[in-house]
Amino acid sequence: MNKPDDKKLMERCVKGDRQAFETLLTRYEKPVYNAAYRMLHNPDDARDITQTVFLKVYEHLDQYDPSQRFFSWVYRITLNESINWLKKMSRQEALDHETADQGSGPEQQADDAQISEGMQAALMMIKTEYRAVIVLKHVLGCSYAEISEVLDIPEKTVKSRLYTARQLLQERLTQQGLH
Amino acid sequence: MANDPKTLELINADIDGVISSAGKAELEALLADSPEAQALHAEFSALAESLDGLEKLNAPPHLKHTIMASLPQQQAARSKSGSNFLRSLIAAPALGYAAMFAAGSVLTLSLVSSDQVTQSAFDDVTGLVGTISNQVPDGPGIHAMQINRKEVAGTVTLRSSGPLLIVDFDLVSSGAVDIVASYTDQTVWFNGFAQLESPGASISAESGRVTMQIEGKRRYALFLHNAGDRNITIKLQFMSNGVTIYDTKIEYNQPG
Repeated sequence: MNKPDDKKLMERCVKGDRQAFETLLTRYEKPVYNAAYRMLHNPDDARDITQTVFLKVYEHLDQYDPSQRFFSWVYRITLNESINWLKKMSRQEALDHETADQGSGPEQQADDAQISEGMQAALMMIKTEYRAVIVLKHVLGCSYAEISEVLDIPEKTVKSRLYTARQLLQERLTQQGLH
Repeated sequence: MANDPKTLELINADIDGVISSAGKAELEALLADSPEAQALHAEFSALAESLDGLEKLNAPPHLKHTIMASLPQQQAARSKSGSNFLRSLIAAPALGYAAMFAAGSVLTLSLVSSDQVTQSAFDDVTGLVGTISNQVPDGPGIHAMQINRKEVAGTVTLRSSGPLLIVDFDLVSSGAVDIVASYTDQTVWFNGFAQLESPGASISAESGRVTMQIEGKRRYALFLHNAGDRNITIKLQFMSNGVTIYDTKIEYNQPG
């Protein structure tokens, strides 16, 4: 998570430098999209969230706190937007039903693709607060300290939430016969 | 108990590579004594490996360009200098339009060959062109759609303002793309056209049909006169090298 140039780029963005913003966009487009996708399990929604996140970043550049690292700001917006999206669309229940059906096929083979799909399905079955720490840790590669910064919670809570999330995922995967 | 909090903490810390040497020794002792703990360690390790191995997807093509194209045109620093009188003047739609027009390079009208266009029609749009310098809005009476093809991507929005319908094209294309906007209602007529950000616009208008060519990043506004405030469907056909690559439509329904 060594991004020494982010701060300088942000300083340029605040002065109205669109090129600097484009550099940040290039740097963070993929992780933001992946985080949104893992939170929502829908490529179209992930694309829309990615667009919303960067527009919000641009519109609120003046609210950026330079003492905060850029990635923690942008990841926090990503997770919040994803969670708000889920709430807005009232999709949590529907997704639970969808994903519950996905692992029940008699012909299911435990190949890599299906394990990956099963993992995503299991992710969609756990609460968003747990999903968020899994996404930060395993999709975005954040450390405990970085997760703590993004979610603005103590590291102790990060650990406890992460351990619980893994246990819940393990249970879901066992239910699906994938672990 | 393998799943007591202390064992779970040690296992998770080990998996995450943050275990202390004392913790590591404690964990090894636990694992040596407990097949249950061994199984749990193996399960969690496999889980973490699977999570780390989730495919890292590429963002959709053109997403970056779509985002860049949809950024507000005003500099981001504007909110830090809210008292800037000149900036606030330019932000007013009509004056913004006038300033842009005076600059001579940001608004282009070219190749207009219409049987319906009048100079007075162009005059009508002076208070409205500023709308295309703002972020694509979302709200009542505004219809928006995302285009996300490999040849062309971005947003098209439709709104009304008095007797005018404003179709805002905020697009980026990988090559030359023709956009044909057609409408069957003969009471609607082409009222004007504006472009921001780039030179070389090409547009032609005929009865019930306007054709625009884009290449690269473009921001166009198309103005249609809809005096009767009628419900209108505008068909949008995107063509590359004479071949249709995308067909869609955007609709205006009168309020209420």
